[in-house]
Amino acid sequence: MSKDVSRSVLSTETFDCVRCGLNVAALAPDGVRRNHCPSCLHSRHVLDREGGRPECGSQMAPISIAVLRNGDWMVVHRCSRCGELTSNPISGDDNQFILMRMAVRPLAQPPFPLEPFGDL
Amino acid sequence: MPRRKHRRERVQRRKAGPEGRLDAFRCVGCRLDVPADAPGTVHRNHCPHCLTSLHLDDLTPGDRRAGCRGRMAPLSLTVRPDGEWMLIHHCVSCEALSVNRIAGDDNALALLRIAVRPLRDDRLRAGLRTVT
Ligand SMILES: [Zn+2]
Ligand SMILES: [Zn+2]
Ligand SMILES: [Zn+2]
Ligand SMILES: [Zn+2]
Repeated sequence: MSKDVSRSVLSTETFDCVRCGLNVAALAPDGVRRNHCPSCLHSRHVLDREGGRPECGSQMAPISIAVLRNGDWMVVHRCSRCGELTSNPISGDDNQFILMRMAVRPLAQPPFPLEPFGDL
Repeated sequence: MPRRKHRRERVQRRKAGPEGRLDAFRCVGCRLDVPADAPGTVHRNHCPHCLTSLHLDDLTPGDRRAGCRGRMAPLSLTVRPDGEWMLIHHCVSCEALSVNRIAGDDNALALLRIAVRPLRDDRLRAGLRTVT
């Protein structure tokens, strides 16, 4: 298959979200292939770390926002069945409310008083 | 001195003792000598000072089945449904991720720096502007 053909196939490819059922274009607006639903940020566990073992297929829930050295945000997903963790880049149209809720969640429930660190 | 060298290797190998408990270990991130018993968790798996860990476990904490032994850097935090903070580590050698309980004597400032990382980001401020 030529590059152009594979690109045009990809641009019309969609998947149904395992969690909310939304029919999602496989390519994000920025042209990058997405791995999670932009609305609920859930994904499906299709590959393990080594990419070798049979796919699990279960729901992966977003559990954390990681900030890379270059400032990019990654979503950390955890598989509800096998517990495997993956990290994935966010897309421009990912649900901002869910991203922000995850970003502020630790500070909303701190295990120690935050007041001594007021200047951080 | 051969004797000292031997002792240090033993410490670094982090062998499990007879009861399955871990010996003290020297941190691969900041070289701190870390005692094995951690308040608030059965199983200490990272340095209480710099939060660095070593890639030893495969799927469950303490299983010691990963052959990697790479340095695992603290990456981000997640909150369990019961409100407990969990620390996510990222292996710099093989890219594996793991999620671990924090200990009662973990460095609060180091944890907090990780917690505020997304909040210092322009993206969050830009996002807040769009939704408010
Ligand atoms: Zn969805
Ligand atoms: Zn799975
Ligand atoms: Zn350390
Ligand atoms: Zn590793």
